[in-house]
Amino acid sequence: MGLALWLAAGLLIATASAAGAADPPPIAQIKKVTGQAAVLRSGERRPANVGDMLLVKDVIETGPDGAIGITFIDNTVFSAGPSSQIALDEFQFDSNDFRGAMLADMRQGTLAVVSGDIARSTPGAMKVKTPTAILGVRGTTFAVQVYGDH
Amino acid sequence: MKRRAILALASMVLLAGCPRQALFVVLPNAEGSSVGAITVDDGKTVTTLAQPFATAESRAGNTAPTAETRQNISTIFRSAIAAQPILPHHFRLYFILGSDELTPESKVAYRAVFDDVKQRPVYEIEVIGFTDTLGDLRYNQALSLARATAIRDALVRDGLDRNAISIAGRGKRDLLVPTADQTPEPRNRRVEITVR
Repeated sequence: MGLALWLAAGLLIATASAAGAADPPPIAQIKKVTGQAAVLRSGERRPANVGDMLLVKDVIETGPDGAIGITFIDNTVFSAGPSSQIALDEFQFDSNDFRGAMLADMRQGTLAVVSGDIARSTPGAMKVKTPTAILGVRGTTFAVQVYGDH
Repeated sequence: MKRRAILALASMVLLAGCPRQALFVVLPNAEGSSVGAITVDDGKTVTTLAQPFATAESRAGNTAPTAETRQNISTIFRSAIAAQPILPHHFRLYFILGSDELTPESKVAYRAVFDDVKQRPVYEIEVIGFTDTLGDLRYNQALSLARATAIRDALVRDGLDRNAISIAGRGKRDLLVPTADQTPEPRNRRVEITVR
């Protein structure tokens, strides 16, 4: 029993240092911003700043001259070009076994992705939804363009 | 047979007349890692793209492979690719037996971690400590965490932000080189560092 407690304490230290107890855990950090970019959270739109943390359900948006780059805690990298809107619908990741799942809703614009630990450890667990199709990822670099309403 | 082919051809021509709704492209992998694949499921068919620059598009709700020139691909995604952050990097540092002191080689390698971090406008660092199988579980759990802590403290002493560094210890679980219990193995006495 002493042993189990020790192991649990080790895991707790890891999670406690990553985020405050009450906040939902961050899933990604904004690493790069060009031009206009914003984060939509709980119906509120705020400017996107380098260093800001993102939460599940956040929506990232870029203006006609904007671009944004983010890195998830599983080391997946997203970068979006102008006039893009991408909702971070679902994200789960266990840093102990690298397994998890993610679903991004690509509503409009351009997105380049370098997949990370989730796609590598859990085939089929990383998905990008577009209005016309759902994209499944098996560990690779790819890009998606969704055209705006005509 | 012939009639079916004509119908298929006719529907392709009709779809080609509809505006493109979405484009999907496999890109060559950054930094030389192997290329995987993407699957695109439009609810009726699943298209698999597994080669660099393999492309599919959606028209009228249907998704199918298509051809797109590399030049067009790079034009379409230029801004998105230019916005890509520096990719995450992994490092591994080794320790002296039973201690949280780096081996002489890893003291040199430590500088590469620091230099990598300094290139990033913002950063997060994860340090996970491990041990070999010599000693009991409790001892190794404490040692692995001491190793991660020692590296965190060194990075902080060198001027990095303590709040951007998370640490954990995994003891003698997750061996890099599988060994029997109570086996000294230098390659298992390590920290794994992710910088992103």
